Amino acid sequence: MNRTDVYTMGVDVGASSVKTVLMSYGSGEHPEILFKDCRRMRRRNPSVVADESMEDALSVAGLELKDIAYVASTGEGEMVKRKRGHFYSMTTHAKGAAFLVPAARAVLDLGALHARAMKINDEARVLSYRMTGQCASGSGQFIENITRYLGVSLSEVGALSLQSDHPERASSICAVLAETDVINMVSRGVSTPDIIRGIHESIAQRLVKLLSALKADSPLVLTGGLSRDAGMVEVIRRKVAEDDLGLTVLTHPDAIYAGALGAALWAGWRHFKLQEKASAAS
Amino acid sequence: MSETPRIVKEKSMVVQKKMLAAYYKGLASTGETGQKVVYTFVPGNLTELILSFGAQPVYPEINALQSGMRKKSMEFIRQAEKMGHSEDVCTYVKCDVGMMLKGNVGPTGETIPAPDLLLCSYTGCFTFMKWFENLAKMYDCPVVMLHVPYRSAGEASPAMVQYVVDQLRTRVIPALEKVTGRPYDEERLRTMLGLAAQAEDDMVYCFESAKNRPSPIDGYFAGVYYIGPIFTAFRGTEECVTYYRSLREDIDERIARGLGPITPEGQIEKEQYRLVVEGPPNWTNFREFWKLFYDRGAVVVASTYTNVGGSYDLGFRHDPAHPLETMARYCMSCYTNLSLPQRTAVLSNYVRDYHADGLLVNSIKSCNSFSAGQLQMLRRVEEETGVPVGFIESDLVDPRYFSYANLKNRLDSFFQMLDQKLTPGESDA
Repeated sequence: MNRTDVYTMGVDVGASSVKTVLMSYGSGEHPEILFKDCRRMRRRNPSVVADESMEDALSVAGLELKDIAYVASTGEGEMVKRKRGHFYSMTTHAKGAAFLVPAARAVLDLGALHARAMKINDEARVLSYRMTGQCASGSGQFIENITRYLGVSLSEVGALSLQSDHPERASSICAVLAETDVINMVSRGVSTPDIIRGIHESIAQRLVKLLSALKADSPLVLTGGLSRDAGMVEVIRRKVAEDDLGLTVLTHPDAIYAGALGAALWAGWRHFKLQEKASAAS
Repeated sequence: MSETPRIVKEKSMVVQKKMLAAYYKGLASTGETGQKVVYTFVPGNLTELILSFGAQPVYPEINALQSGMRKKSMEFIRQAEKMGHSEDVCTYVKCDVGMMLKGNVGPTGETIPAPDLLLCSYTGCFTFMKWFENLAKMYDCPVVMLHVPYRSAGEASPAMVQYVVDQLRTRVIPALEKVTGRPYDEERLRTMLGLAAQAEDDMVYCFESAKNRPSPIDGYFAGVYYIGPIFTAFRGTEECVTYYRSLREDIDERIARGLGPITPEGQIEKEQYRLVVEGPPNWTNFREFWKLFYDRGAVVVASTYTNVGGSYDLGFRHDPAHPLETMARYCMSCYTNLSLPQRTAVLSNYVRDYHADGLLVNSIKSCNSFSAGQLQMLRRVEEETGVPVGFIESDLVDPRYFSYANLKNRLDSFFQMLDQKLTPGESDA
């Protein structure tokens, strides 16, 4: 089968941003990423943000929508107007993570509203999963709220956390309690790095519980928005080691795109499957 | 102007609504009829005994959940919180207390009479004792306590049965005699227990019909309607027998025609997932909650909540030949009085016997007697059966704990996991 010049697109609509990946299947077996984009929603309609991101992808690649063999959405992407199919986010994150780190046997998706740990096999199939409870303490949105309160930008968070000498522990039970802890820490003059590190530790404590309940196998790949927070990654590594979970914790510069990437890969799988069916019928 | 969609209801639901309306009307007229009123709890209820004395039972949890379904619970809860009840107190209690403070106007708009007796059947829920302690003061009413031993070792031993029988004989029956002015009528009680057993046979048949593919019923969302008559003021009556016989006939017809369950938006055309659910449902957003399931073709084939009043799965039926012993055994059989290993076994057996694809736990924020141990049970069932498990959280009648986005988000993941198991390789919506 000639896979040359087959393009697919994956659009991952998350709680705070839209991620888009354009892939080319080219002539090789391994498809490659032509374009990737992460765009904050900033209270705009997700469908409009997704449209803008898709337009940029096409423009950068010099393509038109008709050139894309299959557009797939994931996450909350069912409202993406120009999609052809929708794939569930657990399977897309698994697929995307395994593409980035083929040895991955567990994935920890650290999104804005929830964290989800998955156990996967060598074909990126999800074998079991665990999610955080209803409380938002284990979520990226919580960190975002705290950074706003502390007056630092999201991109600074990782580096600040790594500077901490004496992390201040915040509540790991409830985001509202943790936020109260932070207000109290500020009034006591606790340094920003120590506050942020304390938050990272409280979140990591919950995540490690998820991984332990899942009986996750190694290596573990972190995906989602928090996977590029170096402070968070470092604390997860440390907690995983302290709890003796026997997991190597990996991340990847493109891990934030895992959902969109997985959607683009599932889009390719679906496209070639449809093509096979069509040629068998003729 | 958009039209309000027509809500589809099963025949049995319509019948039950009429039964409940008549029940509440009957309660409202006890002032005129002179009938005595006994408040008691659903788990391990002694309905036949109360009815045999010609008294009317009132179940505060039923009033609370009915108020929840009719969007009236929030104002009652607020009222109780104003009085000093904490946010963490069981929301059934607060709903009940708030309702009383607001004039005891029940869910149907009719006044619920004050109790002449509070019969506290303690079946593992510590809150029950505190609840009736409060009501005893508020209504200035006598309380009779029935201590039902917890089945920590599994089965109910002969000594445990005797312990409950002794309490019935020496405390509960004398208290009922005193309040109603009538002597204990064992023959009348035997007749009622015989009727109870007939209804129980038919009810078990109805729930076990979910072993069919497709299941003709939803054993949780519709199941809570099906348990209505048997766990409230009707068990032991001809009316109850008629209700379950009619329900059984309806279900038989659905099985013969290969039909799936009826939901508020019509029949489920394609049974996509077969689930077992642990824990009570959310009442304040009941239809919205159910819709999250039926929109995905998810059918609950078995649920533990339908054993809340008493369990019939292991063959228990009321035995008119031994009236007090059978009531003692019944009290000890209610689901929250079972030990955690027994509850786990119930769940694992459901998964296997009903060919379920997954187990979902709805953990109730304010109900410790149901929620304690659920995570451990969930892990154990996962190990024993290998099916995917999911965990969601909501509350009984406090709408503040119902978070649609959180529930949907978690259910989405659960359904994705089921898809992975059911159709490996395929993953699209």
